[in-house]
Amino acid sequence: MPENETDTTAFLYPFIESEETDAQRLLDDLAASARGKASESARLQRETLEEYAEAVAAAGAEMAERFLRRGRLYTLGNGGSSTDAATLASLFSRPARGRPVAAWSLAADEAVVTALGNDVGFELIFKRQIIAHARDRDVVIALSTSGNSEDLMAAITEAKRRGLLTIGFAGHGGGRMAVAEDLDHCYTVHSQSIHRIQESHAMLGYRLWSVTQQHMTRQAVS
Amino acid sequence: MTIAAPGESVIDAHLSADLAAAALDLARSFHDGATLWVLSPQWEPHAHHVAVEFVHPVIMGKRALPAVALVEPDPVAQARVASQPGDLLLAVASATQPAVVEAMRRAPAWGVLTLWIGSGPRPPAGAANHILWIDSDDPMVPATGRFVLLYHLLWELTHVCFEHPGLLNRPDDCTDAACVTCGDEGRLGEVVSAGTQGSALVRTSKGEEWVDVTLLGDVAADDLILVHAGAAITRLEAN
Repeated sequence: MPENETDTTAFLYPFIESEETDAQRLLDDLAASARGKASESARLQRETLEEYAEAVAAAGAEMAERFLRRGRLYTLGNGGSSTDAATLASLFSRPARGRPVAAWSLAADEAVVTALGNDVGFELIFKRQIIAHARDRDVVIALSTSGNSEDLMAAITEAKRRGLLTIGFAGHGGGRMAVAEDLDHCYTVHSQSIHRIQESHAMLGYRLWSVTQQHMTRQAVS
Repeated sequence: MTIAAPGESVIDAHLSADLAAAALDLARSFHDGATLWVLSPQWEPHAHHVAVEFVHPVIMGKRALPAVALVEPDPVAQARVASQPGDLLLAVASATQPAVVEAMRRAPAWGVLTLWIGSGPRPPAGAANHILWIDSDDPMVPATGRFVLLYHLLWELTHVCFEHPGLLNRPDDCTDAACVTCGDEGRLGEVVSAGTQGSALVRTSKGEEWVDVTLLGDVAADDLILVHAGAAITRLEAN
């Protein structure tokens, strides 16, 4: 284009903003975006809890029954979901109130995870630990925003075979977890955003913990 | 206020403005080469989640940014040796968590910009450059996804800022002749080692320098002092 047209056609190139100097407009946009995303996160949490209210209540009762028989909880996840799995395990094992129960994330020990990943393959990092740790009164909760993680599916199948209670938190369309016969319970958060799915997974875990606690009040561990 | 009611947005106008300002500061620091150090002594998984969020973004095509969870038994010592001037320090912690209180107190001497995510009673104003707070007294907040939402939003907004390259350079605030930040009116320093003859090697936001400590008498490594015109004028005691 002729040089003298550059100024008058700049509006056609909205991504070229290196000359932008008004930070306040950006800050206003960011703040509005934050409020919008937070509202969406809250809506998704609310609808997820409503959709699975009865199923979560049932699973919580079954978990409590196992904890009262000295069952343990293992949580599984990859990446950000591994940290959410660790937060969930901590909620059960050292809650700010209520009764603690034995729970840990199977992604937490880097010696075990890297040993298995290096020696037998990443898809077996959780299954091999289930074989080592699990008793038939235990519980496993697997978190996957896609519902497809191979390492989780392998562990779920092994856990089911050994008599564990198996619970899955999935996202998007539910993936393989939504149709897995080896899962006793599966809750799919219907969203395309990994961030929003994880925020609802946290709320699902919190509700599951709350129900479990209600069932364990004034019950003696056998 | 409790968090018992899921489905209510916890991001009001104030918190959204705080998040926006924090995200722009974060983007500017990354643009200048910062590393983000993350502390969460009470809830280590949150520190790991922030790190993986920035290092391996869930949205394809977004840049990988340097972020590291500091989870050793003494996170203050770990942050001290890891951080360099211009870096970022983010804590996910209650306002009274001792290691985080200590790290935030020392951060100006290390020259790092600080962010603090938490819930319950707030830290005092100015305890960090950005305080992103859920005003709830419910101790279960850290396990409900509220903190996850906050650092997810921080990550999302930071990456929006990268689409505005013209705003990534910090405005030069220090042209004023009377600028308190740059003027030598009393800068926070942390003693690296005591020397001989009333001097000490001291770390400030500008780097390391030899400082006259005769006014204070004996100083020891990690003492926090105020430096004025090449001399230590006060020792800051722990609260």
